[in-house]
Amino acid sequence: MKLGFWLAGGEMRTHPWRALSALAAIAIGVALGLAVQLINTSAVTEFAQAVRAASGQADLEIRGPRGGFDESVFARVVTDPDIAVASPVVEVDALVLGATATAPGQTRTLKVLGIDPFRAGQVAPALIGAPAADGADLLADDAIFLSPAAQSWLDLAPGATLTLQVGLERVALRVAGSLPGARPRQRLATMDIGAAQWRLARLGSLSRIELRLAAGASREAVTQRLGAWLPAGVFVSPPEAGDIRAANLSRAYRVNLNVLALVALFTGAFLVFSTQALSVVRRRGEFALLRTLGWPARALVRQILAEGAAIGFIGSAVGAGLGIAAAQAAVTLFGGDLGGGYFAGVAPALLLDPTAIFGFVALGTLAAAAGSLAPALEVARAAPAQAIRSGAEAALFGSGSALRRLWPGLALIALGGVLTRLPPLQGLPVAGYLAIACWLVGGIALVPGLAGHAFAIVARRVSPRTHPLAFLSTQRLAAAPGQAGIALAGVVASFALMVAMAIMVGSFRDSVDRWLGRVLAAPLYFRVPIGGNSAFVAPAEIAAIAAHPALERVEWMRIQQFDLDPARPPVTLMARTLDLDNPGERIPLTGDALARAQIPAGTLPVWVSEAMVDLYGWSLGSRQTLPLGGRAVAVTVAGVWRDFARQHGTVTLNLADYQRLSSDRGITDAALWPRPATTPAQLTEALQRDVPATRHLEFGEPGAIRELSLRIFDRSFAVTYLLELVAIAIGLAGIGATFSAQALARAREFGMLRHLGITRAELLRLLALEAAGLTLFGIVAGGVLGLAIALVLVRVVNPQSFHWNMDLAVPWGLLGVVTALLVFAGIATALLATRQATGAGPLRAVREDW
Amino acid sequence: MRRRRMLQLLGAAGCLPLASLLPSRAALAAAPSFPPVRPRALAFPRDHGAHPDYRTEWWYATGWLETAEGPAGFQVTFFRSRTAHDPANPSRFAPHQLLFAHAALAWPGHGRLRHAQRAARVGDGDESTRFALEDTAVAVQGWSFSRDAATGRYAATVADQALALRLGLAPTQPLLLQGDRGFSRKGPRPEQASHYYSQPQLAVSGTVGFEGKSLPVRGRAWLDHEWSTAVLDEESVGWDWIGINLDDGGALMAFRIRGRDGAAVRWASARLRERDGRELSYGPDAVRFETLGTWRSPRTGTSYPVRSRLTLGQGTAALRFDIEPLIEDQELDARLSTGAVYWEGAVSLRHDGRTVGRGYLELVGYHRPMKL
Amino acid sequence: MLELDRIAKTPPGGHTLFADLSLTLAGGEYVAIMGESGVGKSTLLNLVAGLDHPDAGEIRVGGQRISGLADEAAARLRREKLGFIFQAFHILPHLTLEQNVRVPLLLLRRDDPARAAAMLEAVGLGSRLHAYPRELSGGEMQRVAIARALVHRPALLLADEPTGNLDPETSDSVLALLREEIKQNGATAILVTHSAHAAAGADRVLELTRDGLAPRTLPRVA
Repeated sequence: MKLGFWLAGGEMRTHPWRALSALAAIAIGVALGLAVQLINTSAVTEFAQAVRAASGQADLEIRGPRGGFDESVFARVVTDPDIAVASPVVEVDALVLGATATAPGQTRTLKVLGIDPFRAGQVAPALIGAPAADGADLLADDAIFLSPAAQSWLDLAPGATLTLQVGLERVALRVAGSLPGARPRQRLATMDIGAAQWRLARLGSLSRIELRLAAGASREAVTQRLGAWLPAGVFVSPPEAGDIRAANLSRAYRVNLNVLALVALFTGAFLVFSTQALSVVRRRGEFALLRTLGWPARALVRQILAEGAAIGFIGSAVGAGLGIAAAQAAVTLFGGDLGGGYFAGVAPALLLDPTAIFGFVALGTLAAAAGSLAPALEVARAAPAQAIRSGAEAALFGSGSALRRLWPGLALIALGGVLTRLPPLQGLPVAGYLAIACWLVGGIALVPGLAGHAFAIVARRVSPRTHPLAFLSTQRLAAAPGQAGIALAGVVASFALMVAMAIMVGSFRDSVDRWLGRVLAAPLYFRVPIGGNSAFVAPAEIAAIAAHPALERVEWMRIQQFDLDPARPPVTLMARTLDLDNPGERIPLTGDALARAQIPAGTLPVWVSEAMVDLYGWSLGSRQTLPLGGRAVAVTVAGVWRDFARQHGTVTLNLADYQRLSSDRGITDAALWPRPATTPAQLTEALQRDVPATRHLEFGEPGAIRELSLRIFDRSFAVTYLLELVAIAIGLAGIGATFSAQALARAREFGMLRHLGITRAELLRLLALEAAGLTLFGIVAGGVLGLAIALVLVRVVNPQSFHWNMDLAVPWGLLGVVTALLVFAGIATALLATRQATGAGPLRAVREDW
Repeated sequence: MRRRRMLQLLGAAGCLPLASLLPSRAALAAAPSFPPVRPRALAFPRDHGAHPDYRTEWWYATGWLETAEGPAGFQVTFFRSRTAHDPANPSRFAPHQLLFAHAALAWPGHGRLRHAQRAARVGDGDESTRFALEDTAVAVQGWSFSRDAATGRYAATVADQALALRLGLAPTQPLLLQGDRGFSRKGPRPEQASHYYSQPQLAVSGTVGFEGKSLPVRGRAWLDHEWSTAVLDEESVGWDWIGINLDDGGALMAFRIRGRDGAAVRWASARLRERDGRELSYGPDAVRFETLGTWRSPRTGTSYPVRSRLTLGQGTAALRFDIEPLIEDQELDARLSTGAVYWEGAVSLRHDGRTVGRGYLELVGYHRPMKL
Repeated sequence: MLELDRIAKTPPGGHTLFADLSLTLAGGEYVAIMGESGVGKSTLLNLVAGLDHPDAGEIRVGGQRISGLADEAAARLRREKLGFIFQAFHILPHLTLEQNVRVPLLLLRRDDPARAAAMLEAVGLGSRLHAYPRELSGGEMQRVAIARALVHRPALLLADEPTGNLDPETSDSVLALLREEIKQNGATAILVTHSAHAAAGADRVLELTRDGLAPRTLPRVA
């Protein structure tokens, strides 16, 4: 034990930065994974608890589309003898005017719940306001109660006026008090339900009814009884369903981020591997001596594993600290959103989940220990008598090494190929991720063997007469693939990951860009301010806009959300002006579509996003039921389209059909074509002048919308860019570690060459050639591997996670630049790492007793 | 008028701080206009029904029950409130009219006062909360109080886990119109008034249920039906009120409204129906309450004049009655919900050393001045 | 052929090795230099090779001054004029014997596989041109080193304890070969050794002491 500490301590003291870089990589992996996990757990918990607080101690909950359901449901529900309390709720995510979004991830929407205090008091007392002045304010038509968090966010104290945008109108409400029962960071407002229906334009509709059952009543029986008559699209479910919905909302996105974190951890483990591998090469004498002195091979293996695990543990502990700090910062600055837009407006407190923290620390430690396994076994395999002789370093990881065997790599690659064909597991592309892991590990396992063959071929073609230095370097590369392989594997792994991520993100971005080009066909658009569901364009304004003389044509859109399955996140309903003979002109259809004549009589045509096919089985040509205006409407899927904006499913139908079947006449978006000789800017100006209400709309031209969309896209992929940098840094660290470890071993070789009359410049050139050769091979191999992984990401992981398909696009320019940079960086790293051996004069180098 | 605080009490079936619903601020909203109470002749059965234009209205039944386990006091109250909510709000859920109900049972030897309450808005689609205009018929969440047009008999239904009452209340006498033919002044200013009539000497029969038991009961009750818009002025802090069924078939109602400076009386009034049906009316100068004994609440520290002497008239013609509580502790502490603490309980009335009647006493504003 | 003219050298942080050392070697002369450990034998070789610089004095190889040359120029002079043999052989493990021997020729851009083969033939390894060093014994390694040291016909051969890692029997054959090849190639040679036995094969034996170089007469070896 003590000896082990001495050995490890000595190693750490002599080569601190090597251990530190491995430690840093593990720390980055753990920090990233833990931060993602903590942020998301906090957001999901906060979201679910906010939902819980709103449903209080309800036994059951009736909920319908986001736009609400007919209030007559309530009158019938209260007649059920098994229902002791029925508390109706109107829920509006209202746009706050004059509010400042405190961070990019946060919106200006405030969740406003309209409640009946008499009834809600028996279900969710936390929603009852505490009037600051007058108890009657609980029922007042102009009063609103703000949670403490909302008060401080909006800087509004009781007595102040809160201005919301409803439709295109401003609605001023008096802040009448606080919500002392609200969660500490919960931004919430409540008001009387009658006032809410009136002021927030929800007359006649309810969002939810919270139910408490009479003593002895069965939830199942009531669920069944209510389910029998509730209108289409309105469901009874236990309030716990809300937790599941909250978790489902961001699940795929979170899993993807977690996999990225695992990638960082993997590269960290890999760095531990290369550090330890080279450390055992260097220490072979020490180990051989220990073995001749009577240390069993098992003890050596334990020692090396323990050293790796120690690096892993320290790195993980540092990473856990970093992760918690990062999560705290992210939660404070951006809310719990993770850049995916799922929990906008939720301002969670960081929840330090001990399972996650210890889990990631354990994972980091294990990964590091696993990275040390191959070197440990390699040392144990070496015969001590041979190892103790000088000049035998090539024996480790040499021709006899298990690392040069090809079959394990080939087997893993074959297994990965099979895994890419498997369907998702519980909605997650588990097999896809495993396939990537197999290919990555398999590819790396093949590298030493392949490199030996490849460099031997090159070496045969290099003429010693004309290129003596190239001859010497290729000969060396071809002869020592074991050690070169370690440096190489680092380059291959990091470049493969970088290429894969670059291609995936590039393909995604390219597809989104082209999709935006297709979707944004008009010269001008407007929409109600984003966030919330309180703003819309009412019929009077619609008529005024449509009749405007500067406008040639306008197409309207109404976007709403509704539930098809109460356990899943809501589906988007997009009603828009369509040419039924040519819907593909507006909808980016992905394949065949039914013509108008092919739609069965008695059904409405709808065009659904790919997610609807994956999640609900709404395949092309199938007949489905769509809840519209409380009725079940028979529809036929006339086409499938690509929707990069919404991953939980979108159903498009003709606006005229929608308005015929529902009482909703509001509009949320419009595409505008100005008359000839009128520019979009002029049209905007004219509309805002002549129809004053349109000043509350957000106008945008396609270019700007596209730019904004891509900017949001880039922001949400920022973390992957960061990871690419980490991957490259790790690859370079691998090269550096290899060359520096070899530096001492090769010092005598360099010394001899200097005696033979090689100049220092020639020696540096020799090394540069070796490094360039290695890096180039790594890049070629990594590029091939990365392309394969990118294919899995694009064709398997993305469709299975987010239910959208994209076209493969390789960002050649970016890859070319990165390749060049990586080659130069590889050479520079190699030269830096060996400067000691090349610089310190050949004198000492040829001496035996180094 | 004494029941104004019902609004505070019954704020919620649970625990709503509806501390005072009446004075609503107009602020940004358009406040409704409430008609003032003006002298007019009451017309029945229409005036048995609700008067939703006025701000407040109640049907308030109190009385004594004879049970196998001794005497008990009960009260069942239905209270209507028209809010200041903008009348233009077309929402079905708009809380223009609220209904509250409150029931309490004081039973010596059965622990403290037990009570239960209900509250709801009218018209939100839940038909179990409603009131009628034509005759007495109010209901809140399954509790109800209604009058049978043919017999004039009232039926009260209270259903709660803490307390269940199912009582029939049959009139044995004509209505007792308070004040000037039902126009009852409450203060120095003419608009401080209500329409107010009582139905004394109601014969009660029915069942009382609690803790899973159900007991048949009989007794005598008193019903007040009163509606108004503005009663109390700024100077008033509370009131004392009694409604007593006299054993000889007569009936006595008396109240005083207390001013800020302790002893000052802002207004007082009483009406006595003699055994032969003759009615005597007493004005502010002819009604005097004197404290004989106080009870101090161990919970709130409030002292209530639970024993007092009521003097009607002046000089030698004056009538003197002593008020004696059935039990001393009939305090209702609703601070957690409404902030109000008051005493409301069954009392007996003694005259010349013997008991001459039984009824209810209400003592409001002793804990803290009522802000209405 | 080799001239050391009043050399002075005090290694940084060490004591003075040479204060005023002179030595002249005629062309084709084979000189052995003996001395105790630490007296500066290897330093002397390094100075001659241009790998180290004297504090004073001048060193000329074939009339060309090597002391004071820049690193680059010294390296070029070295590859042209010098051959080295080391105690630890320093044969590149990833090259064949033939390739190892060709390395000096390659550095001079005068590749000549036939010459390399001939040299290996001369040192008795003509049949194993394409073998790798790991298959050789120590003596064989040093034979390869001799071939590599003389393949480019250097004017001056520097051998530093070439038999230090070899058993006596092998030493003898390697020393004999070394002498033969030196003479065969007409090279001037300095053999540094502390073994009188090894020095015995030289034309002249010098003893390096604190006082300088002095001729030494070796006792006859039986």
